[in-house]
Amino acid sequence: MNIQFVIMQLFNGLILGSIYVILSLGLTIIFGMLGIINFAHGAFYMFGAFVAYTIIAYLIPNFWVALVMGPIVMALLGAACEAFILRRLYNLPPLYVMLFTFGLMLVLQDFIRMVYGAAGVPFRTPSLLDGAINLGFMFYPKYRIFLIIITSFCSLGVWLFLSKTKLGAIIRAGTDNSIMVDALGINISRIFTFVFGMGIGLAGLAGVLAAPLQNVSHLMGVDFLVDCFVVVVIGGMGSISGSIVGGLIVGEIIAIGVMVWPPMAHTLIYIFMAAFLLIRPRGLFGREAFHE
Amino acid sequence: MSKSKKFTQLMAVVVLILGFAVSSAFSAETLKIATLTDMSGPYAELAGWGNINAAKMAIEDFGGKVLGMDIEYVYRDHQCKPDLANQKAIELYEKEKVDVIFDCPNSASGLAVNNQALRYKKIFIAITSGTTRYTGDLCNRYTFHWAYNDYVLATSAGMWAADNLGKKWYTITADYAWGHDLLKHFSAALQKRGGTLLGNEMVPLGASDFSPFIIKAMNAKPEVLALLNAGKDTVNSTKQAVEFGLRKQTKIVHALLFPEDIKAAGPEVFADNYVTASWDWKVDQPGSKEFVAKWMKKFGRPPNWFNAGNYSCVTQYLLAVKRAGSKDPQAVVKALEGHRFSDFFASPGYIRPEDHMRVGKAYILRAKKPSEIKEAWDYFQIVGEVPMEQAYMNSKDTGCKMGDF
Amino acid sequence: MNKGAWSKQKIILISATLLLAIIFPHIAPYIALASEILIFALFAMAFDLMLGYAGMLSFGHAAFFGLGAYTAGIILKNVYPSVPLALLGGVIASSLAGFIIGFLSIRRRGIYFTMVTLAFAQMFYFIAFKWTGLTGGDDGLQRVPRPRLGPINLQSQIVFYYFLLFSVIICAIILVRIVNSPFGKTLQAQRENRNRAMSIGYNVDKFKLRAFILSAFFSGLAGGFYTLLLNFVPLNSLHWTNSGEVVVMTITGGMGTLFGPVLGAVGIILLRDIISNFTESWSFIMGVLFMAAVLGFRSGLIGILRNKLRLSI
Repeated sequence: MNIQFVIMQLFNGLILGSIYVILSLGLTIIFGMLGIINFAHGAFYMFGAFVAYTIIAYLIPNFWVALVMGPIVMALLGAACEAFILRRLYNLPPLYVMLFTFGLMLVLQDFIRMVYGAAGVPFRTPSLLDGAINLGFMFYPKYRIFLIIITSFCSLGVWLFLSKTKLGAIIRAGTDNSIMVDALGINISRIFTFVFGMGIGLAGLAGVLAAPLQNVSHLMGVDFLVDCFVVVVIGGMGSISGSIVGGLIVGEIIAIGVMVWPPMAHTLIYIFMAAFLLIRPRGLFGREAFHE
Repeated sequence: MSKSKKFTQLMAVVVLILGFAVSSAFSAETLKIATLTDMSGPYAELAGWGNINAAKMAIEDFGGKVLGMDIEYVYRDHQCKPDLANQKAIELYEKEKVDVIFDCPNSASGLAVNNQALRYKKIFIAITSGTTRYTGDLCNRYTFHWAYNDYVLATSAGMWAADNLGKKWYTITADYAWGHDLLKHFSAALQKRGGTLLGNEMVPLGASDFSPFIIKAMNAKPEVLALLNAGKDTVNSTKQAVEFGLRKQTKIVHALLFPEDIKAAGPEVFADNYVTASWDWKVDQPGSKEFVAKWMKKFGRPPNWFNAGNYSCVTQYLLAVKRAGSKDPQAVVKALEGHRFSDFFASPGYIRPEDHMRVGKAYILRAKKPSEIKEAWDYFQIVGEVPMEQAYMNSKDTGCKMGDF
Repeated sequence: MNKGAWSKQKIILISATLLLAIIFPHIAPYIALASEILIFALFAMAFDLMLGYAGMLSFGHAAFFGLGAYTAGIILKNVYPSVPLALLGGVIASSLAGFIIGFLSIRRRGIYFTMVTLAFAQMFYFIAFKWTGLTGGDDGLQRVPRPRLGPINLQSQIVFYYFLLFSVIICAIILVRIVNSPFGKTLQAQRENRNRAMSIGYNVDKFKLRAFILSAFFSGLAGGFYTLLLNFVPLNSLHWTNSGEVVVMTITGGMGTLFGPVLGAVGIILLRDIISNFTESWSFIMGVLFMAAVLGFRSGLIGILRNKLRLSI
């Protein structure tokens, strides 16, 4: 194992981490603001990939169009979900909401299986990003470099939105104390809808971005779901910067694990998380425990 | 609760129980066949309805009756879960009183059914799963293995590719029992043909990112890369190998590759890759074209070799029942053991008594480039053949101690 | 609601349940399914002790179930084919694990506690997966015998069911006594208001740990029974989706009632079997049912029994 391979692998960790970041951002803002543990998050990620596939295969055969439209469609879907269904569950204990999202996950997955089959659908990298760049010692796929760039922009965008805009401030305030925000006369339920839609839109974006790299099938979100929770917990529930840093850390841990002992790579993140929580119970940037 | 209400309830229960007793008395002399397969899990496309339809068609073509008995058919979904497969096997053997179970994708599930077959002393013929343990350390008098096993996949592709594609190999292996088994046989086949294994990467099952392993493989500059995985892992690893440009210098050989996988990922992903198969719809064996035509007419697409294997297997079982003159499992087992035959699937075929493996020749397939594909499902070209003596492990080496009934 | 009183309603309900349980194997789709339902009913009750009574959501209970299953299997196959010995080994292993994992995870609360339990369960899964020599890896532990229990021939599925029924009823009685005891009451008190319980002088963490170990004990027992039922130990028994199963059963049935989770187990396993025989889209239907259940019934299946049938349980 030479130094070039190590650098390459650390770079790979960033790629994997980037997908985790986008996915976890969605999960954490939904949890932070709405207190919902969204079990269907992985299914929405998968759904986003399929929406993009459908756009490309049946409407406009252009990856870039799908990249923009896919997350928008998902955000609208998420907003509709929240406005018409989830809203009724807010006075229930959180565990019931969790059960609901679990049922939703089953429905989304099986729906896709019924329509598109169990084997999956083809998804190519866009021709602009086909092929690899010569980095001197190694060829590295252009698409992966694009991935890092775009996820960085998106993360920055989300962070800027939440910290610099008025709406962002309202959302952050609502995360802290939704009753107070409501009392101040702001239509908190509309904010909720917006936030949930945004969270799902981010999940869909992660799905579209990951699609060219993976087998796009109805089960593609299942493994990511648990990993997402690990990221969010390490970063701190409800924390944006936590998701970003946590996602990259988890990606790197897996990458390092693969270099050291591949079979252990995935389990390593659980060990890391457990150890981390024992030292720092709220994660990196998390606030006081939510469900107590 | 009033006394009359309680009495009514009790009578209802009694009637229910009597009803069950009576109905089971009526199912006396029929031959009951079952397919246990994956209808809603990862193998649903490959196995699932295809294999069920194959069995149904085989029964229909046989005439629906054997030795004067009607043939009843049931099927169950085990969703690729070993514990569910176990439960369904118990249900089929005990409650449904089937005489034989066919298929069972996923080796862990199949091994569980294998165990129940021994407990209930009824026949199980594994078709879609490939573990060599059916004919190895877990062999038993009631279990047979049709269509293929891991050894065939590895050895046939290994020998042919070592002869025709290159002697310097690298392998990427799915890190579980099946993958390890394949690696063992691939390396052995490679060595026999004077090749060298430059290195191997063990990849956890279901890993989504194969890039570190592909990079390592590319650094070793092999002539052939063997991908010892299946399903989603095959699609992911191949997609990413192409992404990194590995195919420019290296040929890829798969352990398992199906037309459904190629359709799912797109033919450009698998173009010019190689794999072993026990049969293909383009094969020119007696009866093959007719079978394909009949299947196409009914289902609108050609059968894959799992489907074909199921048809062949059910038919041969029914013929064995006829030969045995009874549906008694022990008699049928004896009629199957040592039987030589030739059908559209196996030409020739032979059911070895030492380990209950159905042996036959193996084909080497090359996945076509998109430009070469002339019609729907025309994904493969047959490029080679391996005779059955070489394709299957010598029965002395399987480790099977075929006991008594 | 007078929990201690043997109201007429309660006696009728218990007798009806017992009667149903006795004839169940004959009306269930097949006997082995009825046994499986009993096993998961026990698992769900054990889980409810933690979730419903102690207020702790663990997502790693598959570890205890699986440990019980594997230990029993290994003893039956490689040590000595004795049912009591195997089950005893299973519960010792799971309780020990419960002590260790509990000790380490109790310090955290809420979602963090949940994730720590999940992490531990994943580690156990990984170990079982890799340690092929001991566990059989992903093939599972094959060919586990089901020996006689003294004069009782457990090989017969129906005899095995009644053996299970007897055992599970005893466990249920024990669990009911636990939750109604002062220990059980304290557990519920600290679930409602931890600080107040502490200020009265209870060592809340000690109670939580004991609940954890008890829950692990019965989960391991369920696992051991599962091995006997299947004659093999599937690797799945340690997978986090198995933990998810029991969570779903408990919540759907109605947590904090012990009987609710039993209903959840019965309902989910039966429905799944029946629906999957009709269509391969059973997963979709189950998902819709879960969502409808949450939208419709506010406190689980047991809520329906309470409200619609006006039972006081």
